[in-house]
Amino acid sequence: MVWNDLKAHADELAQRHLADLFVDDPQRFARLHRKAGPLLLDLSKQRLNGDTLSRLFSLADARELKAWITRLFAGEEVNGTEGRAAMHWALRAPTGSGLAPTEVEALVHGELERMARIVEQLHSGQWRGYTGEPITDVVNIGVGGSDLGPLMVCRALEDFAEPAANGLNVHFVSSMDGSQVAHLLRALRPQTTLFIISSKSFTTVDTLYNADTARTWLQRALGDDEAVIRCHFLAVSSAVEKVTEWGIEERNCLRLWDWVGGRYSLWSAIGLPVAIRVGMARFRELLAGAHFMDRHFLEAPWEDNIPVLMALVGVWNTNFLDIHGHAILPYDGRLKYLPSYLEQLEMESNGKSVTRDGEPVSEKTCPILWGDVGPNAQHAFYQLLHQGTEPVTCDFIAPARRYHEDVHSEGAGELVRQHELALANCLAQSRLLALGEAALPSDEQVPFYKRYRGNQPSTTLMMDELAPYSLGALLAAYEHKVFTQAVIWSINPFDQWGVEMGKKIATSTLQAIREGDDGGMDVSTSGLLTFIRNS
Amino acid sequence: MYLDIYGDSLCALVTAAALASSGHHITLRPPNLAEWQSAVGKGRLDIQEPGLDRLFAEQISEGRLSVGDIKAPPRPEVSAVFLAVHSHQRALAEHVVTVSAPEAGRQRVVINQSPFPVGTTEELQLLCPQVPVVVLPELLQEGGALQSFMRPARLLLGCDDRDAEVLVREIFRPFNRLSDHFLVMGPREAEFTKLAITGMLATRVSYMNDMANLAETLGVDIENVRQGMGSDPRIGEAYLYAGCGFGGPGLSRDVLNLSEKLSTSGVGSELLRQVIEINERQKEVLFRKLWGHYDRNLEGKVVAIWGAAFKPGTGRVDNAPVERLLNALWAQGVIVKVHDPQALPTLRDRYGERPDLILCERPYDASQDADALMLVTEWKAYWSPDFDHLRQGMRSPVILDGRNIYDPAYLRQAGFIYYGVGR
Repeated sequence: MVWNDLKAHADELAQRHLADLFVDDPQRFARLHRKAGPLLLDLSKQRLNGDTLSRLFSLADARELKAWITRLFAGEEVNGTEGRAAMHWALRAPTGSGLAPTEVEALVHGELERMARIVEQLHSGQWRGYTGEPITDVVNIGVGGSDLGPLMVCRALEDFAEPAANGLNVHFVSSMDGSQVAHLLRALRPQTTLFIISSKSFTTVDTLYNADTARTWLQRALGDDEAVIRCHFLAVSSAVEKVTEWGIEERNCLRLWDWVGGRYSLWSAIGLPVAIRVGMARFRELLAGAHFMDRHFLEAPWEDNIPVLMALVGVWNTNFLDIHGHAILPYDGRLKYLPSYLEQLEMESNGKSVTRDGEPVSEKTCPILWGDVGPNAQHAFYQLLHQGTEPVTCDFIAPARRYHEDVHSEGAGELVRQHELALANCLAQSRLLALGEAALPSDEQVPFYKRYRGNQPSTTLMMDELAPYSLGALLAAYEHKVFTQAVIWSINPFDQWGVEMGKKIATSTLQAIREGDDGGMDVSTSGLLTFIRNS
Repeated sequence: MYLDIYGDSLCALVTAAALASSGHHITLRPPNLAEWQSAVGKGRLDIQEPGLDRLFAEQISEGRLSVGDIKAPPRPEVSAVFLAVHSHQRALAEHVVTVSAPEAGRQRVVINQSPFPVGTTEELQLLCPQVPVVVLPELLQEGGALQSFMRPARLLLGCDDRDAEVLVREIFRPFNRLSDHFLVMGPREAEFTKLAITGMLATRVSYMNDMANLAETLGVDIENVRQGMGSDPRIGEAYLYAGCGFGGPGLSRDVLNLSEKLSTSGVGSELLRQVIEINERQKEVLFRKLWGHYDRNLEGKVVAIWGAAFKPGTGRVDNAPVERLLNALWAQGVIVKVHDPQALPTLRDRYGERPDLILCERPYDASQDADALMLVTEWKAYWSPDFDHLRQGMRSPVILDGRNIYDPAYLRQAGFIYYGVGR
């Protein structure tokens, strides 16, 4: 039994401090790091050895990982509870790759062409508003996968902003309470603002309320004319009928499909804000990087397979070392939104407790993820990592080179020094977390409150630089990591039933707030409703 | 006197032809000598200006004007070397200055007329201390360039060398007879004055366009307002026309130069930035009116444009409103038919053969079957067309008058839908 075997192996290894593992094997880095394309994965600061990995590979085989990967890429119904395939990988397969069926390939590339035309029109200042003025501001209204993905990538690739798009600003609005949209609309001109309503189902309440606010804002300034909607709204959705019902013409609706999950959709027209920001050529580089990782995931043996290694090490930490906190720590301010993005990707995918067969799971699944830009987090929650009582695993993510891009010609020297400082901090923190006091030069006696016990495992993911291609590869690696873990845990990573019920109850609660009918509410909710009504 | 003129700008040609006509002996030294010799042979210059071709040919045949190699130093007998090159030809200007020192005992001056940044003349002076370098900023008005050279309202001379000033005054004596038009100041001051004049003119135009947009929302005719304003002697009548934007190589470039100058010097000029922005916006004013007229859908429409040059009297379209209009119309799937008395060859060179651009030799060919007519450059021939003939040929009688040359009341009576700028 592979699982019990791993348990026994973990009990043995649990006695060994990470510092000891480094002493045991001077070749540890050489043995435990892998390179693929623009990425380097260093697992040597994980609490495992080569033996652990081969046992984990046996686990992968026992759970039929190979067959599941084949099913994923064959477009089989891997999302059982919704009866759908999950073909986000088809969104980045270049024409003629043979990966996607020809009809899917035609659909995908047809939409990419339509995106390219819209981007070109916006960049050349030829997308006209109602009064004939060129659009200067694009506002993406969406939430979850229709917000986090494009927002995260736009920020990550800010150094690659298309020069032709100078003067064209991209904004994001997601929160349902209207605070973002109200704040933003005060600063924009209706005549020059274009809204992208991004919602796969086109039923997401958060998004539709924000969209209604935007429509009213436009109509108040420009009049109630159908041409106002035609000139100032684009939709990205799989529900074309609902889009046209709302008033947006079909030709202004970019499509995605049932077989793309929201949190896997930034590669589709959902990524339009990214393409507007960095240009279509760069957007295609992002897709190419992800496609590279798809191929790698499909073809590389387990021992070299970056997503599989990331996934198995995660399983090792969660299920065998009993660590249930996982921190995402990018050492590059441009990756500010990566932690939120991965929180959704991992926790919405694998935060499940029922197997594919409908039985309760017998082991733990997805850990709790959180994170922040590393250097800032050092001044916030690192205290807990270093001296708290919870074991936590970390992903340190950093580009090796920065500030050599043309945009930084002035003042590049100072900025390069700042990047070096960030890298030094990245390496120092992961080292101190792993080794504890052994990382310090002498073994002088220090009081308990100054001690570092170390032994906190971490993975370091380095890119040669943060560019569209490397970012695409990085994100796809996390997607496949999540799929691999779902296979090991026998769960469906592509549904999200846990977020449905809350939406329904909110509808009846809204009734209670507006009409004062508390029937059937618990006393806590009734009490809170009373407070709201009396305020 | 013997004078050498380096460059092939409009200023170089006008200076050469005009000074030759007053008896000076001129060698014009343009960068592409071979092309020039053939152009001169054909009697047609690249730059079109009323009277210039004729005067140029006349002076060549009189033997007072010849064309020479730009790389050669000035002839020994030359008393003045003119630098009339383009703003990007700074290196060329520097080279000419270094080879302009006169032989011992001879007097000579270098006269810079090129649109270089403020301070350049002083920098050129440092390259060759043996010859005084002065600046005489070009203030020609395109479309009437010869006239404005021969009857100058003023001659701004930036010069702090007394002997050089005497020499320059002697060269220009034939054009400075009625009263003294020379205004002498430091070179930097003269350079800056030229930019400041341009900035002021541009500001007046953009101000009027801003007023025109306001007038539209108030239901007021900007033309009446303009006449009222112009009658105030503190304001005067010039450069108060609302319209679809100014263009041309000089005006826009100088305003941009000035604006850049101010921002790099740390002063910053919100005003000039706005002046340029308003003007760029204004170049699309006719498009916006058409967009509104056809309910924001121009797919498949045919639009006629009368006048493409940035002003009447020239064939140049640099920074002219027509550039932005064409791009805006094409992006919406419009077929554009253009007439212009001089600019058609330039348009053909610039845009090549394309199915949505039809160049027409006659104004009524352009307006035939059009869904709208845009009047962009106010060539005299457009002022009084045969309106009945025009209306009958058009698919829809829509006139967008970018220069406010027509009478709105008359046109409406004649069955047209009329849009002006600010009326």
